[in-house]
Amino acid sequence: MKIVVEGVEVWYNSIQALKNVSFSLGEGEVTFIIGPNGAGKSTLLKTIASIIKPRIGAVYIDGKTISIYNPRDLSKIIVYVDPQISRSIPSTVLEFLITARYPHQPLLNFKISRRDLEIIEKISRQLNIEHLLDRRLDQVSSGEFQRIVIARALIQNPKVLLLDEPSAFLDLRYRLEVLEYVKRITQQNKLISVIAIHDLYLASLYADKAIVLENGEIIAIGTPDKVFNCELLEKVYKVRIAITNLNGKKIIIPIEPLEKIGS
Amino acid sequence: MATPLYRRKVKHFLISLYSLSLLVIVIFVISISIGPAMLDPVKVFNAIFFGYPVETNIRVIISLRLSRAFAALLSGASLALAGLLMQTITRNPLADPYIFGLSSTALTAVAIGIILAPSLMVYRQYLIVVAFLGAITGYILTLSLSKLGGGSSLAMVLAGIAIASLFSGISHILLYIVQQIIRTPYVYFLMGSASTVLQKDIPFLTIPTIVLTIITIALFKPLNSYLYGDEYAKQLGFNPILIRDLSAFIAAFSTATTIAFVGIIGFIGLAAPHIARFLVGSDHRFSIPITVLVGALLTLVADIVVKLISMYAGGIGELPLGVVTAVIGAPFLAYLIIRRVRE
Repeated sequence: MKIVVEGVEVWYNSIQALKNVSFSLGEGEVTFIIGPNGAGKSTLLKTIASIIKPRIGAVYIDGKTISIYNPRDLSKIIVYVDPQISRSIPSTVLEFLITARYPHQPLLNFKISRRDLEIIEKISRQLNIEHLLDRRLDQVSSGEFQRIVIARALIQNPKVLLLDEPSAFLDLRYRLEVLEYVKRITQQNKLISVIAIHDLYLASLYADKAIVLENGEIIAIGTPDKVFNCELLEKVYKVRIAITNLNGKKIIIPIEPLEKIGS
Repeated sequence: MATPLYRRKVKHFLISLYSLSLLVIVIFVISISIGPAMLDPVKVFNAIFFGYPVETNIRVIISLRLSRAFAALLSGASLALAGLLMQTITRNPLADPYIFGLSSTALTAVAIGIILAPSLMVYRQYLIVVAFLGAITGYILTLSLSKLGGGSSLAMVLAGIAIASLFSGISHILLYIVQQIIRTPYVYFLMGSASTVLQKDIPFLTIPTIVLTIITIALFKPLNSYLYGDEYAKQLGFNPILIRDLSAFIAAFSTATTIAFVGIIGFIGLAAPHIARFLVGSDHRFSIPITVLVGALLTLVADIVVKLISMYAGGIGELPLGVVTAVIGAPFLAYLIIRRVRE
């Protein structure tokens, strides 16, 4: 499976969110999208997920435009992990996770198969949320919720996994565990994973490929070796950055803002 | 962990389903037995469900009281269904056809309908259509007003109260004017009463309630996905706007059937879904049937209370049904508001 994004332009009314964005994604790779606030990271993910329709350009899955897929088939292929889940009507974690199996069931199937429950069981064990299944969705901590949302994506069993800020609210251990887990299953199951993230350090640890966005434009794309250079990142983020080598990997360490507030 | 948890959930559902069905039957029989002439519930039960022969005078009494009990049961069920759907599509646990003004606008439409075509009063089934148009207008008005007010769940409730008060006032005036046409005290319309329903009206209450409940149960997957947000539903391959509009249609229609026959009964649509969720959780596959049963049960009980008060207090005429449900339901609303504002 291959995803090609070609000449995509997205507008929110009169504001342009993406300008002529083109790239392709391959199987078994974790691609990190980085860039400051408002650069268009989430918009790009949502465009790939077909939640937002581009005004110009298109997204292709295996050579076919995404818009010719019917929504139900698409939901078996692509999952966009949105941390903004409505929780105003109380429901339990298990009830939420069960909905992720719907794309794989007939619409009027009232019984949940044993296999579906086993998948939920397996993934909730791997992400260490098994003890939360009985809890109400609005009564878990933000870190636990983040893991629940990621678990839901994997339970849906997609071929393309789009994660929006998966490290937010997670503590140090789970940041590393969750991202390492995503990387491992991406390789094992030959997934295409795209992760939008603010934490450059984490991006440099796990990226197979990186895309730098600024004001809706791609300003750098390629292997971490190529993309992660001090000059470029300092210019984009307005932050002084150091890069060290660790086990043959470039690790990014942000040091201080270039312009200090109040000075 | 997931499998035993799920099994437990199914077990809870089955237990609730059986015990509630049983309770509904028991209360239904009791409701028929209660009246100025008290009947033996066992005799009534055998007569209704097994067709045992009874004395002619008892049979007449049963057949007279049957339509009233059915009206209470069915209007409770359809109001509860409407309440659950409204809570889901607005994702607001305080939603209910009464609080959101659907009932009042439907009643206003009914009053206007009677003024324009007095013969509608005889063919109440056509009133359903009129009431439906009113209910859907009320839904759109409340939602637009709440959007202007920021769209928060509190803004929705306040917008609903504004619309409900306005249109209950208007319908009050209109019904006062047409009092001589409808020939029943208009308070019965304003606060609901099951006692004015005739036997020929029962099919028009039964069929919509059953059909709409079945359609809603069939929609459980889209509804469950809708709970977690528009984008979430979209991601699972459902069209959130279609789900919302279809559910609003069903909610408005089931509200309209009760308004056309029994008038405004408040708070059943609010309380029943909460009780159902407490019993079986918020998975619509389980919560829809339970909500419908709880609604039927609550309304039957409220109707029995109405009968008892009227019998023992000896006032003129009968108390409207909506008075009793308001006394039971309003404290429940207060409790929900307190809990939500605290959170």
